[in-house]
Amino acid sequence: MKTITCDQFHHFLYSIREDFEIVGPVILHDGTLSLGRLTAEPLALFAGRIPFRFTSLFFPHSERLFAMSDEYRFDKSGSSAKPLLVVGWRAEDLEALEFIDEFFRTGFRDDVFCDRRQSSVVIGVSGRCGVNGEFCRISEGKCDMELIYDGKHFIMAEYTENGRFLSEKIVWGEETDSLEALLQESRALRTPEREILQTASQLLMRNQVDDDFWAEIADRCIQCTSCTNVCPTCTCFDVYDMRLKRKIERYRMWDSCQMSGFMREASGHNPLASQSDRTRRRIRHKLVDDLHRWGRMTCFLCGRCDDVCPTGIGMKAVAAEIVERFG
Amino acid sequence: MKKTLTTCPFCATGCMYYLQSDHDKFVGIEPSTVHSIAKGHPCVKGWNAFQFIHHPDRLTTPLIRKNGVLEAAGWEEALDLVVHTLPSLQARYGHDSIMFFSSARTTNEENYLFMKLARAVFKTNNVDHCARLCHSSSVLGLAATFGSGAMSNSISCVDEADTFFVIGSNTTENHPQIGARILQSVKRGAKLIVADSRTIRLAKAATLHLRHRNGSDVALINGMMHVIIRDGLENREFIESRTQNYEQLKNTVLRYPPSIVAEITGLTPQEIIDAAHLYATSPAAMIIYSVGITQHTHGVDNVRSLANLAMLTGHVGRPGTGVNPLRGQNNVQGACDMGALPNVFSGYQKVADEAVRQKFVNEWRVADLPAHAGLPMTRALNAAERGEIKGLYIVGEDPVISDPDQGHVRNALQQLDFLVVQDIFLTATAEYADVVLPAACFAEKDGTFTSTERRIQRVRKAALPIGGARADWEIFCEIASRAGYKYMHYNAPSEIMDEIARVTPIYGGISYSRIDQIGLQWPCLDEHHPGTPILHVGRFVGGMGCFCPAEYRPPAETPDAEYPFILTTGRSYFHYHTGSMTRRTRLLEREENRSYVEINPVDAHRLGIRDRDFVMVATRRGEIVMSARMTKDITPGVLFITFHFEESPGNLLTNNALDPESHIPEYKVCAARITRKP
Repeated sequence: MKTITCDQFHHFLYSIREDFEIVGPVILHDGTLSLGRLTAEPLALFAGRIPFRFTSLFFPHSERLFAMSDEYRFDKSGSSAKPLLVVGWRAEDLEALEFIDEFFRTGFRDDVFCDRRQSSVVIGVSGRCGVNGEFCRISEGKCDMELIYDGKHFIMAEYTENGRFLSEKIVWGEETDSLEALLQESRALRTPEREILQTASQLLMRNQVDDDFWAEIADRCIQCTSCTNVCPTCTCFDVYDMRLKRKIERYRMWDSCQMSGFMREASGHNPLASQSDRTRRRIRHKLVDDLHRWGRMTCFLCGRCDDVCPTGIGMKAVAAEIVERFG
Repeated sequence: MKKTLTTCPFCATGCMYYLQSDHDKFVGIEPSTVHSIAKGHPCVKGWNAFQFIHHPDRLTTPLIRKNGVLEAAGWEEALDLVVHTLPSLQARYGHDSIMFFSSARTTNEENYLFMKLARAVFKTNNVDHCARLCHSSSVLGLAATFGSGAMSNSISCVDEADTFFVIGSNTTENHPQIGARILQSVKRGAKLIVADSRTIRLAKAATLHLRHRNGSDVALINGMMHVIIRDGLENREFIESRTQNYEQLKNTVLRYPPSIVAEITGLTPQEIIDAAHLYATSPAAMIIYSVGITQHTHGVDNVRSLANLAMLTGHVGRPGTGVNPLRGQNNVQGACDMGALPNVFSGYQKVADEAVRQKFVNEWRVADLPAHAGLPMTRALNAAERGEIKGLYIVGEDPVISDPDQGHVRNALQQLDFLVVQDIFLTATAEYADVVLPAACFAEKDGTFTSTERRIQRVRKAALPIGGARADWEIFCEIASRAGYKYMHYNAPSEIMDEIARVTPIYGGISYSRIDQIGLQWPCLDEHHPGTPILHVGRFVGGMGCFCPAEYRPPAETPDAEYPFILTTGRSYFHYHTGSMTRRTRLLEREENRSYVEINPVDAHRLGIRDRDFVMVATRRGEIVMSARMTKDITPGVLFITFHFEESPGNLLTNNALDPESHIPEYKVCAARITRKP
């Protein structure tokens, strides 16, 4: 395996910017950490987790799907000319990506997502790359290439053909075999939050969480929909049409199960009529229903919903309250 | 993908976020995680604030009425018509025969220029805006007591309060970030008194929920003060060192013992005592109110009474205290600050003051400026109905939907000789216009908004205006220039702010370079001043605080045999005011797409009304059909409606009775009846 310094990696990315649309962590105007195009500035690979829903690169907030002209001419929205190269996602982000890959490919294949995703290359970052040098879990294979930081260098682990293709283009760097110690450190990381989540999942499955609990949590929800909008495994969208002069454009945009209109029928009847029902669904869906359907819980503990919830009822907080009260 | 940092165009909380655009098309919102208010989580309206921008209904070209029909026209023709007609009306009917309605949705720079246009170019003080309808009572009531009519503290003070007294504010719905912060504070142990006849979301978390009768606020607050004085809980030191007129207050509230107040308010005497004790004995207690206090014929009295309560207990001028009116619209604070009001220039400098006028005469290079105050907008519409106002220029405002007694408003607009409407959509009001000017929206221009906590923040141009639309400030400059006035040329809005800073002491230290990332709170007196998060620290802005006691007066219209219900109005969380933007936003319109009336199940059963039935709600002004929503959250005998829906407009029913001082209409109480639609 090769090692490479941060500077060398930046130079490498800069050298291939004609071939790829390169996107990674950047600092926006007021200091917000986000995803942005590579510029002459190095990417903010050590600034922590990107707070926004990073999977928006493949499944954006809103997008035009197609336009239909008055003469019934169909115009499908095209994707960008260059393949996308994404840098800087963490292990839990990559697990979320792996799930939505499966979600959008299974059964009815979502062409818009899959086309964009297929032509992309993803480089994860792990190791001692936390804001204060703390250790971030190694994904061990959930991306094309992983940059594992040992405190001085990135060790490059290639997992796919795309990863190896990129690696071969890197002319700098030295060979190393020191990954084993980092892997052991990664595997030894304690995950108490995962245990809480699993316990909460079992309590829900055994129907041990009563309705009063959900009513209480729901009273604290102000329906901002931030939790579902930042969640990387939320995949719900709504479709709407814009009538323009000589054509109709069809768009889709993120939807939220926290809104009353999400499930309301045309008659006005609503299977998820109360906020209490909707809050229960938000948690139960990821911890129980997806476990049955996909074989795993679909919260990967990235913590984004907890960070943005204005009243402290994100996934981790609610799971902890469930375990505390019913466990 | 472009990300432009800007300020939300909806409520006045002042969240900042990034507008995402791709090739000049708006595709989403990304929160700012470092902004002190937004903290990474806009409310549901904020998350959806990009969709209306390129809605196909946007106005893209000027329209002129020809043979009774609005037809597309060029800018030259439309502007010439405005510049020709307004002065000709003035020549015929006098300078004050025309009126200017400014807009709380446009920027500070635009409000400043519009009032400059009215005063310097058209020589009239007939300029006002919709603060008349929401917080004119606050501006007067707090100026009389504290010397400054704005939120005394900062939003961050919510984190420091021990007790909240929330009255007439459905905070989680209308200022969601502030409401959420109150809920968080309650979770950490703060106490919460909610005074509201409806069981709003905050009431569910309240220590005390006072469901007092609508319109009985002065009695309730006087009753609390009576108990505080009776039980020796007043702050003697504060009263003596920082206030005047205490004896007069004491004499007034002496007449409001809990037993009498209980009769007026419908509360128990103990509830009044508990509320008084909780508020008075807290180390830091914060009053938060909104239009449930101001929109009454006794709105100014309500505000004065709250200020009296805060002074009586010394809960002013410290973190976690104060009297905090939550302003409704994105820039309603700024529109007031900029002097889009009939009696003041920017910074609340009175037009009647000779020295102030001279300052503006010099800055604007005019011979003179009118000295007498102009008309408030509510009075102006009454005057239009009588034929005394002939020309009206409305910017970003839809009085047909937003003003009380729609029949009266429509009639007033019909009486006008000439109506100009400048907006982003063809509103119900624009249907009456002789000229419609298409404006750029918040995402298509540079400028600043001032939030409810007096924070001046940047608004940024993320894309070119749609079609032929132009920024409001550019339109005003063009009109001034065509009218022969030479001193309204600016290369960019930053230059307008520089002029504002020169003539407006409270904005003296504001410049775009200083508010590039995070805004400053006024008063900000010079370029080194750090801004003012808390007003009245150690000294009231007006010097000594002045107790202004008020007597309880019932609302203008109370239930009777013919109209046995109290009708009160408010907003839905999912819509913003007249709905021109939110009703063109997919998820928000899906959530609430028709008018509804909240009714208690006890009343509903008695009248044979079931949930989602169509019902007829009628007042002395008219009747509308809407869907019934049965909920125990509303008190028996009270009906609640919103005013967002043009198809069945709530304001067809409301009463145009005005507060004698602030001229605010009594939106919050009128008499109504409800029947099941056969």
